[in-house]
Amino acid sequence: MASTQAPSGMTRMAGRERKSPKLDMAPMIDCVFLLLIFFMVSTSFAPMPGIRVQLPPPGKPNPNKPKGLIVRIANPEGVQKYGTMILNDEIVNINQMFTEFIHAPEEVKNMVIIQSERDVIHEQIINVMDIAKQAGIDKIGFAVVARE
Amino acid sequence: MAIQMRTGKAKERGQALMMEPMIDCVFLLLIFFMVSAIMRVPPPFTVTLPESATKHDFPRKKFNLFISADGRISFDDLEMLTLDHMEMYLSSKESQITTLIIKADRLAKHGRVIDVMERAKRRFSKTEGQEIALMVAEESYGN
Repeated sequence: MASTQAPSGMTRMAGRERKSPKLDMAPMIDCVFLLLIFFMVSTSFAPMPGIRVQLPPPGKPNPNKPKGLIVRIANPEGVQKYGTMILNDEIVNINQMFTEFIHAPEEVKNMVIIQSERDVIHEQIINVMDIAKQAGIDKIGFAVVARE
Repeated sequence: MAIQMRTGKAKERGQALMMEPMIDCVFLLLIFFMVSAIMRVPPPFTVTLPESATKHDFPRKKFNLFISADGRISFDDLEMLTLDHMEMYLSSKESQITTLIIKADRLAKHGRVIDVMERAKRRFSKTEGQEIALMVAEESYGN
């Protein structure tokens, strides 16, 4: 039995070799298309919006008091969402701040220094930075406590 | 009869469509999208970015620093347990970061954001200072 089967197998092999090999392309193309669609959908080229901050180089902070508009922000108290903001010893809200910035004297108008307490929410800081940039003030500084 | 013959022939010709150029094109497109794809890696917590009217555009990159509302920090999906841990990780990735992208939740504490920025400033050795991007929310198109 085995001896009769072996030659037939041999002939089949030989026959296959003589035919030009033909690869079935359809499943591969299906896979490639699926991958292509996946990558096309998951890729996003749209840039992310953000606010540029240039940190000073490492080293000692500048001991000279920089000139600029100083915005002091206190921790929000109780049910307050935003902390109280003080500009030139006056309590200001976010809507007044823009006109205050616009009408500030020229010598301090180049920079805004944000002196904020730790628990102020990030959104409020971004709002102040946003308003400063809208008022044409590009330099924004964060006051920090120097640590030894 | 003649028309039928012609359509029959056209069908036969259609079956012998040249597949190779199309496959070449599809492969090229596939490779292009694979190379340019930056997988979005979500942090282990949700971050709602604050809104801002003025914004600057930054290209999407890997190594985003997330800060959650309760002060947790994560580098892409890798959570940093302490600020020291973050600083070490930051220094190991320094060569791959041009602009440090900080995505802080709108309710995150300002003190925490400043801590992170101070650590980053200490770690990066650029003489002109490290550039940081504080990310804000993308405009929602009417939804």
